[in-house]
Amino acid sequence: MATTSSKNMKGFYRQKKTTGGITKKATNTKSPKNAAALSSNLTAFISHASPELKDDFDGKESVLRQFDMNMAYGPCLGMSRQARWERANRLGLNPPKEIEVMLNGGKVQAGCLWDGRI
Amino acid sequence: MEIDGEKTILERKQSTYLSLDEKFEIRKETYGGQQYSQIYFTRLHLMRTLLYSLVPNLKPHLPVCKILGLEKGKECIIVGTLYKHMKLKPSILDEYSKTRSVTPLVKPHNFMHLDDHLILEDESGRVKLGGTMLLPSSYITGIVVALHGMETEAGDFFVQDVLDAGLAPQIEFPLESREDKYVVLVSGLSVGSSASNPLQFQLLVDHITGHLGDEKEQAIAAQIVHVIIAGSSVEIPRGLLNGQNLASKDQSRLSEPIKELDIMLTQIAASVPLDIMPGPNDPANYSLPQQPLNRCLFPGSAAYNTFRSCTNPHCFELDNIRFLGTSGQNIDDLQKYSEAKDKLEFMERTLRWRNLGPTAPNTLGCYPFIDRDPFLIDSCPHVYFAGNQDKYETSLLKGTEGQLVRLICIPKFSKTGVAVAFNMRNLECHTLSFGTQFDL
Repeated sequence: MATTSSKNMKGFYRQKKTTGGITKKATNTKSPKNAAALSSNLTAFISHASPELKDDFDGKESVLRQFDMNMAYGPCLGMSRQARWERANRLGLNPPKEIEVMLNGGKVQAGCLWDGRI
Repeated sequence: MEIDGEKTILERKQSTYLSLDEKFEIRKETYGGQQYSQIYFTRLHLMRTLLYSLVPNLKPHLPVCKILGLEKGKECIIVGTLYKHMKLKPSILDEYSKTRSVTPLVKPHNFMHLDDHLILEDESGRVKLGGTMLLPSSYITGIVVALHGMETEAGDFFVQDVLDAGLAPQIEFPLESREDKYVVLVSGLSVGSSASNPLQFQLLVDHITGHLGDEKEQAIAAQIVHVIIAGSSVEIPRGLLNGQNLASKDQSRLSEPIKELDIMLTQIAASVPLDIMPGPNDPANYSLPQQPLNRCLFPGSAAYNTFRSCTNPHCFELDNIRFLGTSGQNIDDLQKYSEAKDKLEFMERTLRWRNLGPTAPNTLGCYPFIDRDPFLIDSCPHVYFAGNQDKYETSLLKGTEGQLVRLICIPKFSKTGVAVAFNMRNLECHTLSFGTQFDL
């Protein structure tokens, strides 16, 4: 977990229910994961988190987080976003070129959104 | 052959060598905290692309869908990674859940159980497999297959047919080789162990280098063009390693087996090209692909350019004949988690599944690669060998597209005194057995 200097433990764990809410599907032997709904709830959750955990969140980062969460390109943990984009490219998965442009130019986080938190 | 008075000089035959070990070498990989999910993703993606191209030829009228897209009663084809749920498979978590005093006295060699069942998984979900087509005892976790069947009312997937990738395409076997050229494969030398007999190893070395026998015998030895040592060449006395600093006399005792091996390898390397692969007991890294044994360990033999320290698995071409093999860890691991009538059947399965070590990284130690699975077999070899097996076995495997593979199980030399000689002209092989007992 990211280190925080907060003395207020309540503030550390404060969670607010988002408007979307994470819905639980009825369990059957298949366990479906709905990537799109999960990631949008995720980004909403992070924006409501305590100030120590909040980072600069602009449109670019939001797009990059969607890229991180997209299952088609494989797991994102333990890889830099650049490496993951290159791997997706090499495997013929046609990742969007805008992601590469964003990663090459500008100040964006090189690791995936879980980097340093897990 | 020149005739010089009464002496005849025999020249050893030669062959061209090409090493194909780049994908097994770990040079530029850096560990970035990744887990094994990356290698599973790569394996699933590459194999699924392959299976999607093969499926229309075999089952043209069936739709292909993801596991999440399954509908009850609709016949379709799904592709995913198999997971075998095994009751007896040892889990590290058992150490925490059970009381410490209960320790199993006997460790089972095979972890199979009648209750084992198979599950197919892809990135969208997983589904339990039912039906009698798929016998859990023949399958293991980690292979990618295409299944034809339908979802039942209970939510299981009833399997009607299994499609594995089959043997990979093979490069053409060179037909112009008209002369007999032999490759000697040996493994399990275990120099330094109590089981190994130095005289037996010396006899093998003398035979290969042509110091044994009359002219006829030497002429046979002159046809040996290459020697492969497939793992477990030394046995380091592990009793000395008890966590404390080693006394200097213990230090020299620790390195004696390697020195003895180096002396023997120098004799071989001086006369014939030699490849040495690391094995389960050698001073190399534990997880596959094992990296080449360090050349510093062999000061005598490394001076020769005929000496090559190779990875495990090892892939190379001699005169355009492709060899692929391991020191046996992949086949031994398959034996722990599945069953077959003999080791050759395990080897055949790995070729049909197009994966050298399908149980990696589940039960076979493996480096967490990010962007490739080095165990995927892209091109079917002509010779496929596994070292450190209990006995010598061999068979010729024929594929559906004319592929021909010689499967060889190389026995442990320290136990059996048997090495294997393979003829590159006609894919035949026979044993070289060395005995030192006199039965009077």
